[in-house]
Amino acid sequence: MRPDTLLAFDTSAAHCAAALLSGGQVWLRCEPMDKGQAERLMPLLEELLAEAGIGWSDLAGIGVGTGPGNFTGVRISVAAARGLALGLGIPAIGVTRLEALAHRLPRPITVIEDARRGEAYVQEFAAEPGPARITPLPVAVAGAVTGSAAPDGLPSALPLAQAVAEIALSRLSTPQPRPAPFYLRGADAAPPSDPPPVILP
Amino acid sequence: MTAPLIFLGIESSCDDTAAAVLRHVPGQAPEILSSVVEGQTALHAAFGGVVPEIAARAHAERLDHCVERALADAGLDLAALDGIAVTAGPGLIGGVLSGVMLAKGLATATGLPLVGVNHLAGHALTPRLTDGLAFPYLMLLVSGGHCQFLIAKGPESFTRLGGTIDDAPGEAFDKTAKLLGLAQPGGPAVEAEAALGDARRFAFPRPLLDRPGCDLSFSGLKTALLRARDALVAEKGGLTVQDRRDLCAGFQAAVADVLAEKTRRALQMYHDLAPSHPALAVAGGVAANKALRARLETISAEAGVQFLAPPLRLCTDNAAMIAWAGIERFRLGLHDGMDLSARPRWPLDQTAPALIGSGKKGAKA
Repeated sequence: MRPDTLLAFDTSAAHCAAALLSGGQVWLRCEPMDKGQAERLMPLLEELLAEAGIGWSDLAGIGVGTGPGNFTGVRISVAAARGLALGLGIPAIGVTRLEALAHRLPRPITVIEDARRGEAYVQEFAAEPGPARITPLPVAVAGAVTGSAAPDGLPSALPLAQAVAEIALSRLSTPQPRPAPFYLRGADAAPPSDPPPVILP
Repeated sequence: MTAPLIFLGIESSCDDTAAAVLRHVPGQAPEILSSVVEGQTALHAAFGGVVPEIAARAHAERLDHCVERALADAGLDLAALDGIAVTAGPGLIGGVLSGVMLAKGLATATGLPLVGVNHLAGHALTPRLTDGLAFPYLMLLVSGGHCQFLIAKGPESFTRLGGTIDDAPGEAFDKTAKLLGLAQPGGPAVEAEAALGDARRFAFPRPLLDRPGCDLSFSGLKTALLRARDALVAEKGGLTVQDRRDLCAGFQAAVADVLAEKTRRALQMYHDLAPSHPALAVAGGVAANKALRARLETISAEAGVQFLAPPLRLCTDNAAMIAWAGIERFRLGLHDGMDLSARPRWPLDQTAPALIGSGKKGAKA
């Protein structure tokens, strides 16, 4: 195992993206795709490792994008990361899409990321990150902004998977919870509308 | 392939998160070293049925814990395994995907072979796991999501004689419980009420009995129950406890009558194969219903056929059956690559005409 070697990936949107960090070097892949991430992810990771000449057993950790984003896409990566972590005996570390988008940009900065349905995921990053929320568009905030729903905002500093990898690597020395999808949006389930009948004595 | 094998099984196609470890030495009975099943009943209780997104969220965060518990219960680590079997469909796609991706991660990390398993094959091969049943045997798969008659001819060879054209019986039991204000899951609740009721008070339909073949239908029965309930509520403002018992008894009798008659027909078709040791096996949660089981036992005895019902924990969704189906598939020299797909629809018998979901996406099951 090499202590500075970490593989990160993200399928929280219409892409299959991965970044490998080792010895200060970076290897990147990002393939746009609407579907098929579940079939493509592991072969893509194998290709990236082969290109860098690094084996699975060299990895010190796994980084994974936890969303918010496409529910199914987020689960594809989180489940794969947890399987790899269990199989390799190394930690998997979750990084939210909002943290990754703010990474290496001057602070304070507010991330405003398109959440579809006329809403945005919003989170302010100052010295410490503020709470993440989902809110209707348009979003009015003071100061610098970034993200797909902030058209005049700063571009992100790094490709998404590389940002996930860097943040995950920075957390490798402290114990982390297992990565879990960061949904921000509820499951869209409603209790049944028809009440049960009255039971007479 | 005659080597002893130890397989991990992973199942997440509906509302149970499950992992199991199974050892099989050829010539001996398979040994279930561990079987962990974590249900989600409480998560879905408020909604009157399984909510796919809620199920998917739970699976994604529970699967690896279940695998760790299954390994710990078996007293083994991953290095002791010979392969990883995972349900790759059919089922609720969010859960299936989480299981498949977890399995891919594990298989990649360990270098172990990955075997994608059809969930229905898991159920259909369970009589071989529990009793070493020889092919060909007749299988009635009857659960909350499925209802079909299959002749199992080999680990990868199934002929579907018929099945439901709409709802599964387990779903009808759940719906009945919901309509009558009983607890979920509906099967045990309705069965308990039915035992105290008069099955002759309400005349419920026996759908498709007047048509030849083994296809079934349960959605009309649900509607008939709703109408009978609404008539009682309109008449007196609610249901008495006895009304509810009688409705449950009438409903259960109709389900049992239909399944019994269609089983009789399926047995006739199965007899044409002249099996040397004829057997009927059941699987699925509805197979736990004692009234139904008694009818099937009688019919089997009349037909001179062995009746086999695996223990309930192996009748309902579990991962031991997935590990076993994986071993059976692996012994045929079959396994899968890292491009294995999770499939919401995946009929066991690919040649039989579709019963449900015959649109461009193909048959459901």
